[in-house]
Amino acid sequence: MTAAGFIMRNALRNKRRLLLTVLSVSLSLFLFATLQTALRELTEPQTNAEAALRVITRHRISVATVLPQKYLNRIRQVPGVEAVSQFTWLGGVYQDEKNFFPQFAVDPDTIFKIITEAKVDPLQRAAFERERTACIVGIKTMNRFGWKVGDRITLTSEIWNCSPELVIRGVYSGGIDESNLFFHHDYFDELMDGFGKTGAFWIKVRDEAAIQPVINAIDSSFRNSEAETKTETERAFQLGFISMFGNIQMLIGSISTVVVFTMLLVTASTMSMAIRERMREIAVLKVLGFRGSEIFGLILAESFGLALLGGIVGCGGARLLYSNLDIYTLTQGFFLKFEVTPHILASGLLLAGGLGVLSCLAPAWAGIRMSVLDGLKEVD
Amino acid sequence: MQAIVQIRGLCRAYRQGDIEVVALNNISLDIPEGGFTALMGPSGSGKSTLLHIIAGIDRPTSGSCVVRGVNVAELSETELAGWRNSQIGFIFQTFNLIPVLSAFENVEMPLLLTGLSGAERRAHVEAALELVGLQDRMHHLPRQLSGGQEQRVAIARALVTDPTLIVADEPTGNLDARAAADVLELLTVLNRDAGKTIIMVTHDPKAAGFARRMLHLEKGELLRDEEMRGV
Ligand SMILES: Nc1ncnc2c1ncn2[C@@H]1O[C@H](COP(=O)(O)OP(=O)(O)OP(=O)(O)O)[C@@H](O)[C@H]1O
Ligand SMILES: [Mg+2]
Repeated sequence: MTAAGFIMRNALRNKRRLLLTVLSVSLSLFLFATLQTALRELTEPQTNAEAALRVITRHRISVATVLPQKYLNRIRQVPGVEAVSQFTWLGGVYQDEKNFFPQFAVDPDTIFKIITEAKVDPLQRAAFERERTACIVGIKTMNRFGWKVGDRITLTSEIWNCSPELVIRGVYSGGIDESNLFFHHDYFDELMDGFGKTGAFWIKVRDEAAIQPVINAIDSSFRNSEAETKTETERAFQLGFISMFGNIQMLIGSISTVVVFTMLLVTASTMSMAIRERMREIAVLKVLGFRGSEIFGLILAESFGLALLGGIVGCGGARLLYSNLDIYTLTQGFFLKFEVTPHILASGLLLAGGLGVLSCLAPAWAGIRMSVLDGLKEVD
Repeated sequence: MQAIVQIRGLCRAYRQGDIEVVALNNISLDIPEGGFTALMGPSGSGKSTLLHIIAGIDRPTSGSCVVRGVNVAELSETELAGWRNSQIGFIFQTFNLIPVLSAFENVEMPLLLTGLSGAERRAHVEAALELVGLQDRMHHLPRQLSGGQEQRVAIARALVTDPTLIVADEPTGNLDARAAADVLELLTVLNRDAGKTIIMVTHDPKAAGFARRMLHLEKGELLRDEEMRGV
């Protein structure tokens, strides 16, 4: 037998208690991994090489304030700008409130020069550009509602109080987000009685070096005008957009803290029970010559191992589960992806291990400090 | 024979609130190497206290207890733990085996603190268990053994490190006459044939009869010191 063998034997002493503790730790860590993944998906939108070259110009005051359409020409002339499109969030629903997905009014002739990673059949794209009420829909949304090219759909937007009646002329796939619907900004203007405004401008920049100069040039050219602009990278824009939903970060953060604290209480009470009923044995080990530090090591390893096992089951289970679920369909498009990243996995395991250590400190200290004679008087 | 334990002016008092209980009062004695000593006396006379001080699990209030030249009271807690591991084999009245470990593993426990290899540990443990006649019960858990067998495992655990002293606090107190006789027989063999120095607390005169010397304590004081002729 080795010290590790002895630790195992101690941990396995009360199998039901071990099982319950590992399960509750793993449940906590499962929740933790889920919350952290949700937070990450919500606050750190995915990005790729193409997306990194996109910037968005919006009103300086807020993302919900509109800009004059006539800015388009001036933006197009800024050196480094490759393509620019109007970009208005419709925020409509299809038939039912819960059938929510992102829809944008855009310029049909430039939109696919901006989202270059989206693949569309050239014929479908031509058909989309030709027809005023046409739209192109991402493959995920097509599948979600079982739509086919040629279908007619009506969206209802409470934000703009209008109901575009659209015909699907094409499907795109590829890129980060395959759930968007794009339709003609001209048609939107018409529904809005010659609106003349756009929510924002979506811009493709030539290369990375041009990003900051383009941002500076656009914003300074509209300084002191009727509507001052704020230009930022697509990623920064998304982050700002998400913060409109309220302080999700804080909400998820506080739920996570509660979950972690609960786990600490569970493991701490298990370890203190496990150690208290072993006080006499600890005294016997001392008589045999075990030092305080060695006894502490035995207890620490047991508690750490137990919590880590729970962590592996919980976080690993979350990763396995979510990678095998169609999160997009299950959450009705709310989450595009739901990946328990290695980083989340590592922080979950670190947390579990740390709490394992923390939860045994008090009872281990009591065990070490107890005098041999007091320990020998304990009844089993 | 040379004294392996030298006790001089040993006092141990417990303070309980305002009252001071004197458990040991000015004890001086020598225990020779290779002796088998029985500590006798009525309940509360300080037998266990004396044994605990000799074994390095309690400390004197004053006076000294020197075991093989080492004044035990001067060691730190950490040093004392290492000292106990190499110098003392302790046998309890209630056996105190670790319930989740087999007989073999229980005997192996004190060896985990030594630098011995797995194979060396195995050899020592098997030899110790053979000496107490339990080589065929090595893989039994304590609850699968009788009281007498448990106590023999405990004896194997006490002698496996080849300590200077084997101390036993009422080792037959929880055993029936038959098992008690076996245990005492075993201690006698260890003393006579293996030359082990044994100090045993007991209130049973029959058990004390196995020893070669009897110390009588009463109210913390040493009353009589009898040398006995071989039985
Ligand atoms: N931790 C303690 N606190 C206070 N008094 C104690 C403590 N331990 C022992 N004593 C007292 O010291 C005296 C000697 O106790 P000890 O246990 O050595 O007696 P004993 O001879 O072994 O008795 P027994 O035969 O009943 O085991 C007793 O009066 C006891 O009450
Ligand atoms: Mg006693």
